[in-house]
Amino acid sequence: MNIYLRELKANVKSLLIWSGAVVLFVLVGFSKFSAYEGNPELLAIFDSMPPALISAMELRAFNLTTVTGFLGLMFTYFSLMLAIAAGTWGADIIVKEERDRTVEFALTLPVTRARLITAKALAATTNSFILLLVTWASVLVGSMSYQTTPEFYQFLVYIMIALFILQLIFLSIGIFLGCAMKHYKKASSIMMFVLLQAYIVSMLAGLDQRLEFLRFITPFKYFNPARLLHESKFDPTSLLLAAAIIVVCLAGAYFTYQRRDLYL
Amino acid sequence: MNIIEVEQLTKFYGKARGIVDVSFSVGEGEIFGFIGPNGAGKSTTIRLFLSLIYPTTGKARIFGKDCIAFGPEIRQEIGYLPSEVFYYEGMKVIDLLKYSGSFYKKETTQRMYELAEIMELDLKRRIDDLSYGNKKKVGIVQGLLHQPRLIILDEPTSGLDPLMQQKFFNLIRDENKRGATVFFSSHILGEVQKMCSRVAVIKEGSIHKIEDIKTMRNEQYKKIMVSAQNVDQFALNLDGVTNVERDNGTVRFFFKGDINQITRIISAHNVTDLTIEEPTLEEIFIHYYE
Amino acid sequence: MKMNIFLHEIRRHKQSILTWSISLILLLFVFMAMFNSFASEAEVLNQTLAQMPKELLTAFGLDGVDMSTVLGFFSFVFLFCQICLAVQAASYGFGLVSVEETDLTADFLLAKPIGRGQILTSKFLAAFTGLTLTNAVVWIGSFVVIELFRDSRPYETNTLLLLLISLFFLQLFFLSFAILLSLLMKRVRSVNTAAMALAFGMYALSAFGGMLGDETFDLLTPFKHFDPNTIISQQAYELPLVMISVVIILLSVAGSYWLYLKRDIHSVN
Repeated sequence: MNIYLRELKANVKSLLIWSGAVVLFVLVGFSKFSAYEGNPELLAIFDSMPPALISAMELRAFNLTTVTGFLGLMFTYFSLMLAIAAGTWGADIIVKEERDRTVEFALTLPVTRARLITAKALAATTNSFILLLVTWASVLVGSMSYQTTPEFYQFLVYIMIALFILQLIFLSIGIFLGCAMKHYKKASSIMMFVLLQAYIVSMLAGLDQRLEFLRFITPFKYFNPARLLHESKFDPTSLLLAAAIIVVCLAGAYFTYQRRDLYL
Repeated sequence: MNIIEVEQLTKFYGKARGIVDVSFSVGEGEIFGFIGPNGAGKSTTIRLFLSLIYPTTGKARIFGKDCIAFGPEIRQEIGYLPSEVFYYEGMKVIDLLKYSGSFYKKETTQRMYELAEIMELDLKRRIDDLSYGNKKKVGIVQGLLHQPRLIILDEPTSGLDPLMQQKFFNLIRDENKRGATVFFSSHILGEVQKMCSRVAVIKEGSIHKIEDIKTMRNEQYKKIMVSAQNVDQFALNLDGVTNVERDNGTVRFFFKGDINQITRIISAHNVTDLTIEEPTLEEIFIHYYE
Repeated sequence: MKMNIFLHEIRRHKQSILTWSISLILLLFVFMAMFNSFASEAEVLNQTLAQMPKELLTAFGLDGVDMSTVLGFFSFVFLFCQICLAVQAASYGFGLVSVEETDLTADFLLAKPIGRGQILTSKFLAAFTGLTLTNAVVWIGSFVVIELFRDSRPYETNTLLLLLISLFFLQLFFLSFAILLSLLMKRVRSVNTAAMALAFGMYALSAFGGMLGDETFDLLTPFKHFDPNTIISQQAYELPLVMISVVIILLSVAGSYWLYLKRDIHSVN
């Protein structure tokens, strides 16, 4: 577990930067929210909107005038930030041995490659989790000056769970890419493409009913904040897909890394 | 003209010292040695010559021109062989050598092929696939293909097999005969001893000593080994005799002074074996490393 | 400018240019192919949108967007193109000079009879050429795809040109700003992470700022300086905002030269 601790220490700076970004984002967002809270004009409009419009604007029955509704809106941005952080951490933590030329040290130690991956994966997961907690905490702090309901806190919990699963998905993709790619530079470029593609497809899928099928290929669509809020339920298909991706990627990571030649 | 002139050259990395007030000069056609322990400032000095880093104070001139102000111009005639070579991914040896040659105004193709043949370098291979020693060979060819007036060597033979080392030194000697000046930084004192006419010793950022190799050795002691039956009875408690070691009918010692004193003692006895040697640079300099 | 470095750098970016170009063409094609079916529904949408207060529309970035028009619909995929090109430009920028230090080839290149300024210029021009090639692909792709799928609906060519020209500025912005940032860092550990952070960061600023209706955000991010919706609705650039981008580009380029010329390049050990 010394590998685990070492990796945690090595990534502190990155964790702090991302945490800072999240905190900044939350605080700025909530400070501006005051313009929306309880605005009666907005309320009236929401009541009168046709469903087609709501879906086009991804409102999905959110009441923007409440903190809860606002949170639902922030969900997209949180997903993006935490996904990028997790994905790049995952790839980076594996690839750094080859990139920083420490392969001849780290991989000739009396540990199996499997143990190395496990320790690193756990370290990256821990960091992602800490980032998640930071998000949670800053939302709690930011929402303090507004009227909150018990519904809000429950919604928050659901959102955090959803975000965590998203993190795990991209983390495992990152780890897989880091382990599988022979040329380490490819791992981070592919990760970049995956993230870009997932985001763009998720926006596409939201545009049109007929494109709904696209939501299966992009993790950003696995969690629908409106449903989480109103039905307090996770979509079982999505959960299955998430689990499948995580398991396949991690298995693939272990498998490929064990067999691969590690170059200098 | 002095090829290299260094005047009070100083480099601090923030608070950490690189080199302090270093001054020396190297004349044309010299093979100049530059030795010192790890962290003494050898690499710093070389990197200042090449304007990879910039001095805090002081100056360095090569071919009479300031290293920083005329950097690109003087580098037309400098060949740099670094201690560790790294090249771009995905390139073949020949591609890299051609790319290297394209920076110089001179025609370099013919010399490139000649050098590659001397160093037994396979031009068609990918650099990524080469062993460390073979990469060093690429470094050697790359550094010499433009027939530079000044050759800067930094631990040039690490990684080369003994035969290749020989070839390399012959190559350097040939370049020197052709008129090139050589600045040779190394840990391997035996090499420096073989090749250089003058040596500077740098320690903890400052020049300790600059001397002719010959003078250094002459001023020093001789290593003497005598084997005889009654060697234990040799009266060796003279001034100038040091480090006496007796071992099974043999005595070894260092002697500095009038050699006749020793020969008189030895000729007074029946001796089975006698060796008188000059000490190696290692033996002279090892205390600088301590 | 040294031709040999220029060519070497272009070769280095070869595969990346190809991948981005192909991805962008696919994106344009797939998206615009849906236009027709979408356009008819969109007309209904527009009537409702017309009745809504401006603040709400701005909050959702729908101010001035008309999805039933060719360009209105196009603006959606165009935004994605902007994001992709921003990531590409930022990754070329972050890697431009830092790659020599990360891959330890600095001892080779910088010991050559060439000045730092020449190196930077050659690399910059090569990166920009690569970006322009991708840009050209987007230009051609956009025209082709719009022609293919517009189904005889009209569109203003001039506005389209304005949109496409904005890509040029956007790429310059991300390229030069990333180079500057890379020179402020001691080491760029991962070029792609930094590129994504910069590009998505700027995008998030614009999307978020739009949502909050706060004008200050507009000043900070090039995605707002070249906001597709604004360009379409006003059929022109918002010159003051464009000037901000231009100024940042100029400052970044100047700053980069200054920083690179005086940078200490340290050895391996």
